[in-house]
Amino acid sequence: MTRAMAVLLLAAVPACTRVPADNPTLTAIDGLMVGHHTLAERPTGCTVILADGLVVAGVSQRGSAPGTRETDLLEPVNGADRVDAVVLSGGSAFGLDVANGVMRWIDEGHGPWALRPTDVPMVPAAVLIDLWVGGKPSIRPGADCGYRAAAAASRARVPEGSVGAGAGATVGKLTGLDRAMKGGIGSAAVTLPGGLRVAALAAVNALGDVIDPASGAVVAGARADDGSLRDVRKLLRTGAPLQRTRVAENTTLAVVATNAHLTKAEANRVALMADAGIARAVTPAHTTADGDTVFALATGRWRGRADLDEIGALAADVLAEAIVRAVKQATVVAGIPVARDIK
Amino acid sequence: MRTNTVLVLTAVAATAAVARGFQPRDRGPERAALQPAQQPQQINATITAVPGIKVGHFTLAERPTGCTVILVDGDAVGGVSQQGGAPGTRETDLLNPLNMVDKVNAIVLAGGSAFGLEAATGTVRWLEEHNIGWPAGASRVPIVPAAILFDLGVGGNPKVRPTADCGYKAAAAATTAPVPEGTIGAGAGATVGKFGGPGRSMKAGIGSASIVLPSGLIVAAIVAVNAVGDIIDPATGKVVAGVRNPDGTFADARKILRDGGTRQPPRAGENTTIGVVATNAKLSKSLAARMALMADDGYARAISPSHTNGDGDTIFSLATGRWDGNADITVIGALAAEAVADAIVRAATQATGAAGIPAARDLRK
Repeated sequence: MTRAMAVLLLAAVPACTRVPADNPTLTAIDGLMVGHHTLAERPTGCTVILADGLVVAGVSQRGSAPGTRETDLLEPVNGADRVDAVVLSGGSAFGLDVANGVMRWIDEGHGPWALRPTDVPMVPAAVLIDLWVGGKPSIRPGADCGYRAAAAASRARVPEGSVGAGAGATVGKLTGLDRAMKGGIGSAAVTLPGGLRVAALAAVNALGDVIDPASGAVVAGARADDGSLRDVRKLLRTGAPLQRTRVAENTTLAVVATNAHLTKAEANRVALMADAGIARAVTPAHTTADGDTVFALATGRWRGRADLDEIGALAADVLAEAIVRAVKQATVVAGIPVARDIK
Repeated sequence: MRTNTVLVLTAVAATAAVARGFQPRDRGPERAALQPAQQPQQINATITAVPGIKVGHFTLAERPTGCTVILVDGDAVGGVSQQGGAPGTRETDLLNPLNMVDKVNAIVLAGGSAFGLEAATGTVRWLEEHNIGWPAGASRVPIVPAAILFDLGVGGNPKVRPTADCGYKAAAAATTAPVPEGTIGAGAGATVGKFGGPGRSMKAGIGSASIVLPSGLIVAAIVAVNAVGDIIDPATGKVVAGVRNPDGTFADARKILRDGGTRQPPRAGENTTIGVVATNAKLSKSLAARMALMADDGYARAISPSHTNGDGDTIFSLATGRWDGNADITVIGALAAEAVADAIVRAATQATGAAGIPAARDLRK
């Protein structure tokens, strides 16, 4: 396709949907690659976000039951000034093993960038808990999963739904696991006329319901006997009996990214502001049974000027969108119903 | 006798809460006139519905600014979530669960930017005069966390700001009556919808809401809303107050953002949403911190954008422990976020215009 044709095509896209026409996902951010690996033995897997070049990172860790590694490294007062990859994985704390495989893959020189022999790959990671889905909780993503996901990483549009870290994800567990619905992984991106781009990827395994913030409507969540959505906000406000929340069943993980240049402190502010996207699209969020964690990445490849608040606000917006997409794109796994089958 | 009264009030409030369910509250100014007629003096849909919580406002006459004191009768376990990028606070380190003091006597919310922190000094003095505070040898030290919002640009002389006198008078005025809302106390000079630059913002104020469950659990909030962002009703996704178009309609900050529309970068000192959530449940200091953190989700839902670099968004939590029932922190935290979002919407709908800045009720006409 010629450049002129591309410009014409882009011009045809309505102003309200200024996203890369062919890729409204995290890989719309130049300098990022994403790979999934989904295990065959049980619905679980991992997702690797690879940095092609210098990427500054921050984190917001607000859920009460986290499973993470290398998040201290992201503190602005600490030294490391770049990350090489971020890992999202199923398998609970066992799934942290995935990052070892990604480190090995990078250490072997497979990455898209040149490493010096003494370089230590910086690979923050966070896990969600899907051990109860599909039997055989001893099956969980290991180093091999991370290695394969890294090797599979590409700039292509990110596959969404019941894949990678979202393979065993579920939502709407406040009235019991038998009333849950399938969660998954979703992604969204926005591009402003000036060239600023902000995107998000979310693996949604929340205790709460997923809400579309644009309408206030429940998209997926706790189901009634007839399969309709009960709306946990109503249940909470009326004091309806709920299942005692169990720690080992939940967590929403996300990566937001921008092509803007950010300092490490600014990347942390963007992660913090992006976390509002979880609050808006998940109810309740940040519970004692959720390990909700948001990473923020800045590639700095776009040299334009953008306000930090603009980036943070857009990050929250696209993260909420990615969460809604995660449940809308999910497909049935282990007999757990999905949003696309409701009505 | 006193116990009986409390039981009756709780039961009435519980019935009202159940009847209300998740239906959006009557959000118009007419609500104040309606409800007392139905249930005279018995419904308190504000934070003073939590037994032991008293609230007093003091509003300055010279300029729209003031302070609001949330007094705890006895004491309460406290927590805080501080997520905005431009905070003005005191005694928040004390609320870290790693630190020792686990009781709070009062919380002060004030206008006046960092100058307004002085309001807490007056509240401390009032508490000391009443022999209330953390036992420290022969003396009692009042524990008074505080947070401020920036309203110096509203309505004239920025040298006019809440001082110790304001905090003293607000403490002295504190009662268990339903909290007056709108353009009063810490919300007197509060505005929202500043993402579109000067002249397009709207007046907000202070709002309060409570949720009472049949079990007797009460979770309530009070919030002074001075955000950069627009106020959104999370039940519908619609703007309640925010950036205005020249014709007076809402521009919707979310649309401005997505369109990459020109806007004034928010100035660090013009904003901030500050509040308190309270429950009658018994919580450890760590769980009180978790309650504050979850309550903060109410900011995210009802304000867009929230927690910006130009907002000092801070929310405190109080757990009085007067209710002996069992409630999961997930339920308490989730209800706290709901109550906070309700209170924020009310702060916008109950506000009256000031200093030439219109409020939501002015646009409806």
